[in-house]
Amino acid sequence: MINTVEKIYNEYGTSSGTFKVTKQDGTILWVPNDEANTDYQAIQEWIAAGNTVIDNGGGE
Amino acid sequence: MAISKVTTASITDADITTAKLAYDAAPFRNIFINGDMSIAQRGTSQASITSTNYYTIDRFRFVDSSLGTFTMSQDTDVPTGQGFAKSLKVDCTTANASPSGSNVLQIQQRFEGQMLQYLKKGTANAQSLTASFWIKSNKTGTYICELRDIDNSRSISKSYTINASNTWEKKTITFAGDTTGTLDNDNKVSFDIQFWLGSGTNYTSGTLQTSWDSTVNANRAVGQVNLADSTANDFWITGVQLEAGTTASDFEFLPYDVNLRRCMRYFERTTAVGASDNYVNFASGLAQYSSGCVYCFLWKVTKRANPSMSATAASTFLNENGGSFPAGTSISFSQINKTSAQCDVFSSSGITQGNGAILKSNGTFDAYIDASSEL
Repeated sequence: MINTVEKIYNEYGTSSGTFKVTKQDGTILWVPNDEANTDYQAIQEWIAAGNTVIDNGGGE
Repeated sequence: MAISKVTTASITDADITTAKLAYDAAPFRNIFINGDMSIAQRGTSQASITSTNYYTIDRFRFVDSSLGTFTMSQDTDVPTGQGFAKSLKVDCTTANASPSGSNVLQIQQRFEGQMLQYLKKGTANAQSLTASFWIKSNKTGTYICELRDIDNSRSISKSYTINASNTWEKKTITFAGDTTGTLDNDNKVSFDIQFWLGSGTNYTSGTLQTSWDSTVNANRAVGQVNLADSTANDFWITGVQLEAGTTASDFEFLPYDVNLRRCMRYFERTTAVGASDNYVNFASGLAQYSSGCVYCFLWKVTKRANPSMSATAASTFLNENGGSFPAGTSISFSQINKTSAQCDVFSSSGITQGNGAILKSNGTFDAYIDASSEL
């Protein structure tokens, strides 16, 4: 079960196409933006259920 | 008879059998990957399982929706004289003798649609499928083996019986071809096979669906015994094969390295486990920051999809750079794709920007980095 999802930015301040997922059991996953990835599919379902991705923006 | 007198017409097609041929007529005929249970990248035993995930043996997904607690392991109990060295074992450690309606307990493998186009599913020429496997349990009785077409929500279930307690038995089940519903030709899950081990009434209250049809939950596992009804229950399975046709051929043993690489399409662990030194090199890179290093991981096998990444704690790694060996304080991944990923590991001190760097395990055999593109 997903607890939080955070959008990750790369060292150039642009989106890395990766989400940091923290599960309720404390497990951390870095999930790429790929609709064939089952963890990415789970993020989409989590968002559809009314949850919000943390986006702290890019830049240093 | 002179050899010149032997013509094509002299030998009928029926006389040419696989057994008479000097080569394997159908290599890679087993749709299952790791059917001999030889690959277990995640480890050989996982206790206290109460939920669905991939544990221990590669490619075999354990489905447990609140129906008992189990230990899953790679075991050496195997049928005698069959060539197998490992089996998949599940051991009930907390019983649930009264499942609720939605409870499910299964061992499952999922398949990409693009791998199964040759089955010609959804056409008049759809191939029959035959499953064969060795199985053992103290929990005798009726079990269900189910095929599902996930793209078209269709399924077929067949029952089999474990007759003798704690005795290896070989089971063979043939499923008719399905002339309805083509499988998507892509890298997503299209098809799976379930070995049911227990179920709530939501899946048992109807009539077992022994022909392909739209999936009706009540018809999927009718008659299935409950492996979770006692902590005395154990279950082993190995030699799992699913192949096109109406007969089961001998199990197709693949070399260990071939088997491993097939598994790595879905999961690859870079690990210090089994190393001779607990400072194991994981990747080379650069001290791109004054407080952290950047590493490039190149997968040994191209992944099915861009994989999810995970790792042990940052403190289980160190950033060797310019003769300094600071422990990691945080780790993250980005730019993840089917062939590579970037890994950033930061330290609180001891990094000189611009140095070359090596990511190493920090005096532990328990460090690992996982790339998972499981179905």
